[in-house]
Amino acid sequence: MKRIAIDPISRLEGHGKITIFLNEEGAVENAYLQIPELRGFEKFVEGLPVEEIPRVVTRICGV
Amino acid sequence: MAFEPRIVGFLCNWCTYTGADLAGTARVKYSPNIRSIRVMCSGRVDPMFVIKALYEGADGVLIGGCHPGDCHYQEGNYKALRRYLMLKRILPEYGIDAGRVRLEWVSASEGERFGHVVDEFTEEIRKLGPLKIKESLVESMKTDVAHHGEEHQAPTGEAR
Amino acid sequence: MKLKIGIYWGAACGGCDVAILDTHEKLLEIADMADIYLWPIAMDFKYSDVRAMKDGYLDAVLFSGGVRNSENEEIAKLLRRKAKAMIALGACAQLGGVPGLANMYTREEVLRRVYLESESTTNEKGIMPLESSKEDGFDLELPRLYNTVKTLNQVVDVDYTIPGCPPASLQIYSALGLIADDMLPKKGSVIGAGDRALCDECARKKGEKTITRIYRTHEKLPDAETCFLEQGFICLGPATRSGCGSRCIKSWTPCRGCYGPLDDVSDQGIKMVSALASVMEPKEEKDINALLDTVVDPLRTFHRFSLASSILRRKKA
Repeated sequence: MKRIAIDPISRLEGHGKITIFLNEEGAVENAYLQIPELRGFEKFVEGLPVEEIPRVVTRICGV
Repeated sequence: MAFEPRIVGFLCNWCTYTGADLAGTARVKYSPNIRSIRVMCSGRVDPMFVIKALYEGADGVLIGGCHPGDCHYQEGNYKALRRYLMLKRILPEYGIDAGRVRLEWVSASEGERFGHVVDEFTEEIRKLGPLKIKESLVESMKTDVAHHGEEHQAPTGEAR
Repeated sequence: MKLKIGIYWGAACGGCDVAILDTHEKLLEIADMADIYLWPIAMDFKYSDVRAMKDGYLDAVLFSGGVRNSENEEIAKLLRRKAKAMIALGACAQLGGVPGLANMYTREEVLRRVYLESESTTNEKGIMPLESSKEDGFDLELPRLYNTVKTLNQVVDVDYTIPGCPPASLQIYSALGLIADDMLPKKGSVIGAGDRALCDECARKKGEKTITRIYRTHEKLPDAETCFLEQGFICLGPATRSGCGSRCIKSWTPCRGCYGPLDDVSDQGIKMVSALASVMEPKEEKDINALLDTVVDPLRTFHRFSLASSILRRKKA
């Protein structure tokens, strides 16, 4: 089985990679999109003063 | 080997350090765990010194200044008090017991009291046990390993 | 000769890349000045292209984002080998940035919150990301999420730093000019920023500061002219490098320190503790404590961008 990796996927905001699996005939058997990036905003905004939240979550995506 | 607390003392030149001198000349017996550093004023003790001392291996930090109203520079000891109280609120957020840092007013004539303060603080730190920040930092990063592709160097745990 | 540069992001939001684009028509000058060999947000080069380069092939790499997982670390090391100058771009690469706040928690706490507990997550089977897994017989790999967020210079040797969240666009442009003209200062320097505190460039009026209580931004409307700190709003200006053009201050918003500490200050947040404590009014322990009660969440306010670069770096286990 042949494997093609598109790593990183480009021209968009964020990290991602695509892995394509080809069978013996060279046809696509399966393909996966994976997001390797995690920063954990869900956790560290817990308990932050509410007026500070807008200045923190704007750093989720700056595009 | 039994745990012997390592304590760094930042002592003000005009009061506490002189008090410590008096303790020495008066042959006051007290715990040998403190390593004294003379500063011109307790107001010179940047909280960064305290944090750095803890990071570099101190189990406790004692800051010594003049009694309120007695500061050689008028206001330095009040500054020290405010910094100390704020630092005490931040240390627990770092997972460090606030009792590891202590501020005491010891005048130049209180040699006896200086010995007493050091003894008491040493026992308190003994109860809290070793701090070992560097070790715990290295431990916390033990599984942070880039395992495929590029060669890996073990994180040293050194600050910038 | 035309420069060869690479632009990459680790644990970042893309804001630094947008700051490069925000140079507007000067972008054409950057394109004249340099050929870009890697820039995931805008161009199609892959890691395999970088791996194929000779060591030291690139004149400079602008690396934004912190080091949050094994992929960030691997690519940082790869780019370090390929680059003559490694430049930390932005607060995340320099200080860990906002994502560095995750150092208050462990890797497991973060993963549990994100994949199991968050209100918007449906994950009945409790599936967690795995470094290697088999999906319908196919082998898949993911980088390892780190327990501790790291700054770029905790992982590789960094030559220069352009601070800011995001860095001011013109500062990036002028920094690239320094590379092109071979005018870079000594290694380790911060480029594209001032060398004094933000208060120095802040236009608000400053007088004697005697703070008696701290106000949260919804508790009082600031006036247009006076120093925020004097009015009782926490502003990280005294502990922060200038060079941003007082963007937040001009929008009536106190500074949170994205330009990082000044030279020779190893811990921005703790420096702010020192600065704030020295301008407070009370002298009695009781009054000081009452004032400190009005300081909400001091650690995450003073270390908003710099927790991962602070001396203690993370919450102790």
